[in-house]
Amino acid sequence: MSVIDLITRVDSICRKFDKYDVDKQAELNVSGDDAFARLYAVVEAELDSTIEKAESVASAKNRAAVVAINAEIRRTKARLLDEIPKLQRLAMKKVRGLSREELEARSDLVSALKDRIASVPDGTTTAAQPSSNGGASASTGIKFNSNYDGSFDSDYFQNTEETDRFRQEYEMRKMKQDEGLDVIAEGLDTLKDMAHDMNEELERQVPLVDEIDEKVDKASSDLRSTNVRLKDTVNQLRSSRNFCIDIILLCLVLGIAAYLYK
Amino acid sequence: MSSDPDKLVAKADKLTKLTLTRWSADWRNATLNYEQAANAYRVAKKYGKAKDAFEQASKGQEMLSSPWDAAKHMESAAALAKEIGNWNEVADLYRRASELYVECGRAQPASDALGKAARAVEDHLPDVAVQLYTDAISLLEEDDKDQMAFDLYRALTAVYIKLEKYTDAAAALLRLGLAADKSSATNSQFKAYLGAIIVYLYAHDVKAAEKCYNDCSQISAFLGSDQGRCGSRLISAYSEGDVEEIKRLAQSSTISHLDHAIIKLGRKLPTGEVTAVKAGTEEGEGLDENDLT
Repeated sequence: MSVIDLITRVDSICRKFDKYDVDKQAELNVSGDDAFARLYAVVEAELDSTIEKAESVASAKNRAAVVAINAEIRRTKARLLDEIPKLQRLAMKKVRGLSREELEARSDLVSALKDRIASVPDGTTTAAQPSSNGGASASTGIKFNSNYDGSFDSDYFQNTEETDRFRQEYEMRKMKQDEGLDVIAEGLDTLKDMAHDMNEELERQVPLVDEIDEKVDKASSDLRSTNVRLKDTVNQLRSSRNFCIDIILLCLVLGIAAYLYK
Repeated sequence: MSSDPDKLVAKADKLTKLTLTRWSADWRNATLNYEQAANAYRVAKKYGKAKDAFEQASKGQEMLSSPWDAAKHMESAAALAKEIGNWNEVADLYRRASELYVECGRAQPASDALGKAARAVEDHLPDVAVQLYTDAISLLEEDDKDQMAFDLYRALTAVYIKLEKYTDAAAALLRLGLAADKSSATNSQFKAYLGAIIVYLYAHDVKAAEKCYNDCSQISAFLGSDQGRCGSRLISAYSEGDVEEIKRLAQSSTISHLDHAIIKLGRKLPTGEVTAVKAGTEEGEGLDENDLT
């Protein structure tokens, strides 16, 4: 994770939990004045980003990307236009510490903002250079604004049969997949059960194997000591006894041989 | 040494009988003779005589203070008695063998002997089998070898089910659960609990089954396990009187992993009429009110 990721994540987290920041909230609620200014700032910021996006359309190569960006712009515009009346109401509010001129200036600001929003190019065919009634600019634009999500309706109805067939096939395939998944699930259940039983069996055998281990160790050490003693004993026997027997037998054989050759 | 078993037995008898000329019985040789005779009889398939010879051999080993060999001979004698089909004697011989094993201080073979006995007689003398299984289980539990007792518990449950003593069967399963708990064999434990619930349901004792389920749910791991969920679905299906659901659950894989005898019971569910137990739900509401106040 790079530093940039960290920074963006921290930013988003801060923004998310801003509402819990007591100090910040207190600051914001000090006066209605700031409410207007805040909202105004927010709307303006969004407007700026929308304008940026509109500019990026010009450089976008992918047609689909262009369409998507345009859709995004239209949606944002609609939203911002909704915010405008709120802003106007706030502008009307009389706030202490604010002169009369500033109050009037505010409503002008609001209408100017409205114009600016409407003037953002959103790819509508009618050149949307708004006149003073910015809200009604490009009546076709408004239609697209609210209905964009359903704008493919006109195409949809053309392909009813195809989509019907497709949808049927899709449902059938989904059913087959479900059946297959069921079989797999059962198999997995059996495997899980077997694995559990094996686990228990192994645990059962652990102390038994330990016992075996001990006993075998003892037996092998016993064997080793016995072997050593046996070896000693056998050596002893060999050295004295067998030697005498060997000599005696040898003499006997020589005696017999001598007798035979006499 | 003659290989004729009769002659061997006669010789061994003579060695052990005390007469004027013989002041102490020569058990070592006698036992040797008895063993040879018994093996010869077994090969010749003269099971009665072989059994007697083994018994004598066992007595000889006892006199020679080797209870292990004595027990082994006794077990062979019992196996031969099984061939003959003399069930009471089988039980007796195995019991004596088990006692000799206990004398050696080895609980495992003792319990094994009793288990073999129980298995041999369970078809013919099921009550005796039950007793033998219980003794075998207690032998193992005293020696802290619970895990070996699982198989015995399962066999005991099967016998009870055959005898149609369902409460006893369920009790045996719950004891199995306890033993499994002591040795942390959770899978066996949960399967035992589910089995107990099924046995109760088969006996059409829904209340007892519910109680059993509630008791077992004290163990949180059981609640979340496959078997626990299957059990709760069974109970709720019973209380709603949903026969289709019960049949479907009985075919499910969770139940197929249980013991044979219990699978057979499960497939035969539901027994009798399954009416939605309204009384149960009312009771439940009553309890809720009590909790709130």
